[in-house]
Amino acid sequence: MAGVAFDAGPFWDPDADWVSDEAGSHTLYWTDPRVISGSSPVPLGSNNSGRGVGGSMVHFAGYAPRFHPSDFRTASVDGVGADWPLDYAELRPYYERIEAELPVAGEHWPWGDPHGYPHRPHPVGGNGEVMQRGGLAAGIDVRVGPVAIPNGRFGHRPHCIYRGFCLQGCKVNAKASPLITHLPDALAHGAEVRADSMVTRIGYDERTGLATGVHYVRDGVERFQRAALVAIAGYSIETPRLLLNSTSPRFPDGLLNDHDLVGRYVMVQGAPQTAGRFSEEIRMWKAPPPEVSTEQFYETDPSKPYQRGFSVQTVSPLPITWAEHVAAQGHWGADLRRYMSDYPHWAVLGSLCEFLPLPGNRVTLASMTDRFGMPVADFHYDQCDNDRQLLAAAQEVMERILEGAGATETMTIQRFAHLVGGARMGATERDGVVDRDGRSFAVRNLMISDGSILPTQGSANPALTIMALAARQAERLLHP
Amino acid sequence: MSALPLPEQDGGGRYPGFRTLDQGPHWDAVTRRTVQRRLDPPRRVGFFDDHELATCRALVDRLLAQDGEPRIQVEVMIGQRLAAEETDGWHYDDMPIDAEAWRRSMAGLDDDARLIANADFAEATVAQQRAVLGAVQDLRMSPWHAMPATHIWGLWTRYAATAFYAHPWAWDEIGFSGPAYPRGYKNIGIGKREPFEVADTRADEDPVGA
Repeated sequence: MAGVAFDAGPFWDPDADWVSDEAGSHTLYWTDPRVISGSSPVPLGSNNSGRGVGGSMVHFAGYAPRFHPSDFRTASVDGVGADWPLDYAELRPYYERIEAELPVAGEHWPWGDPHGYPHRPHPVGGNGEVMQRGGLAAGIDVRVGPVAIPNGRFGHRPHCIYRGFCLQGCKVNAKASPLITHLPDALAHGAEVRADSMVTRIGYDERTGLATGVHYVRDGVERFQRAALVAIAGYSIETPRLLLNSTSPRFPDGLLNDHDLVGRYVMVQGAPQTAGRFSEEIRMWKAPPPEVSTEQFYETDPSKPYQRGFSVQTVSPLPITWAEHVAAQGHWGADLRRYMSDYPHWAVLGSLCEFLPLPGNRVTLASMTDRFGMPVADFHYDQCDNDRQLLAAAQEVMERILEGAGATETMTIQRFAHLVGGARMGATERDGVVDRDGRSFAVRNLMISDGSILPTQGSANPALTIMALAARQAERLLHP
Repeated sequence: MSALPLPEQDGGGRYPGFRTLDQGPHWDAVTRRTVQRRLDPPRRVGFFDDHELATCRALVDRLLAQDGEPRIQVEVMIGQRLAAEETDGWHYDDMPIDAEAWRRSMAGLDDDARLIANADFAEATVAQQRAVLGAVQDLRMSPWHAMPATHIWGLWTRYAATAFYAHPWAWDEIGFSGPAYPRGYKNIGIGKREPFEVADTRADEDPVGA
């Protein structure tokens, strides 16, 4: 059997295509037009959307925590969110496998299902030291890692050089992404990657009820690739958009959309970012931004009025992103320049708050079309009361940590991180677009193999879980 | 030497002698070319006509307090970006696409300036320009020339800060070391510096208390 992977973006050569520079890394992000709407619109692009072979992990920060066992049963246990059609124990072997394959470095992890990591923790920079010092003072348990950067010998992978440009694509090839971890193996075993190929529609045969392949555009020419099995991995915005654009007499409202689930329950994590000012020089841009984190507040605390929780991590913005943080406080002109001149003295923490899956948080098709003539995605987002309570609680914890470390001032901005959901998996076709193995209920040779299938999001960074689910799907395909 | 003029009370001169470009020989060739291009005099701006370019220049000079020479040609970098349709990959549903929003907001600034200064925005005094901008910021979610003021404000500051803090002269005044490949860092942690980094001479100058 032969496999072909399509990517709308280029096949990256990190040495020739990437730069150790913030503004120069613009091409790594999905910047085709998209509309954002709702009472709490979520910016896309550089924040959460990749383009090119390797996907969003090319520019992800590198944090690779597991979800907790409780994430798989929030409806039953916490009365919010949804239960997954599989449990933690079924995913654990794939977590372990991916942690070894990336590999992941970090301290022993005491939260969720306690576990160790294949590589020992990396040394931390100024921002990480601030979080360790503040955690100790505030009585909050913190740990180094887990980050998808080997620490020690691992094949031909060079060691991290602590230059802090993880979000700009790791030119060093130290930080893991499928571009350097799994695709080289796939190519060596006969797989093909067809880059610069934008898939615009999934082919469907009314007579057999099967997917026939993919329609795609390459070099301005529309083409079709036949396939016995199609697996979509366009992530939470593009996967629903592709399905909604693939209409037919059998699926007038979009492929797989029999029960109006395609595009719904998209989630972002509330990611308030709190900065603290120190008289010492922190120089937070040195060392990878993901260094230290805590999951002490991850699960429901019965003494609190809200359900579920949040994690806290170091984030370390580079100058442009830091200027956005300062400008978001309303500073401009001489005021902005004065704040910016103080850059070495600031440490920044970010939270990931488990926003709940809501049916109205969804991707639909806008009236505007892109350069392929394809309607662009409209991403609508509102927050519920539980979401807002988590944001306030997370900010308070970050202020405690920074003040514990000796910060003389703090300032917080509201932002969002990560995307999951939009084509959730479920136990039945009324609960989900796909089943526990990623196979769609409506078209049996069509799968979804990306973050859009997650029913809930926890407060962990989703990359490891998305990879573990894909690894499990692959295993189930080989050994049904 | 090309230090941007920034008065001491606005944070100027905190890292004496620090010059990121001195590290250029230690950067990889691709990154060096990317940074170098920002220093070259622009050949063609694109997108803005001459009048809009002057308006944009006045706008970003006020947003970034660029009140003297040498200066970073932020308005040119923005024009080039808009000509290349290099957006952030999203726009609010209550806003036109970025290029259209820029064009309309340049005209809007002229309208506002004529009301209070009887002159186009670029011809108004610096104080009048600041007053026009302060009024836009104060509108928050209220409409400004049929666009939510907070969204047009966000668009201006995002594009302006992205261009300005991409420039090595801006890095010099904030102590940022710039590109770091393939060299990396050997001294990470609180209070630690590389041999080429320069300590802040006014570490107690907390901007919040300024």
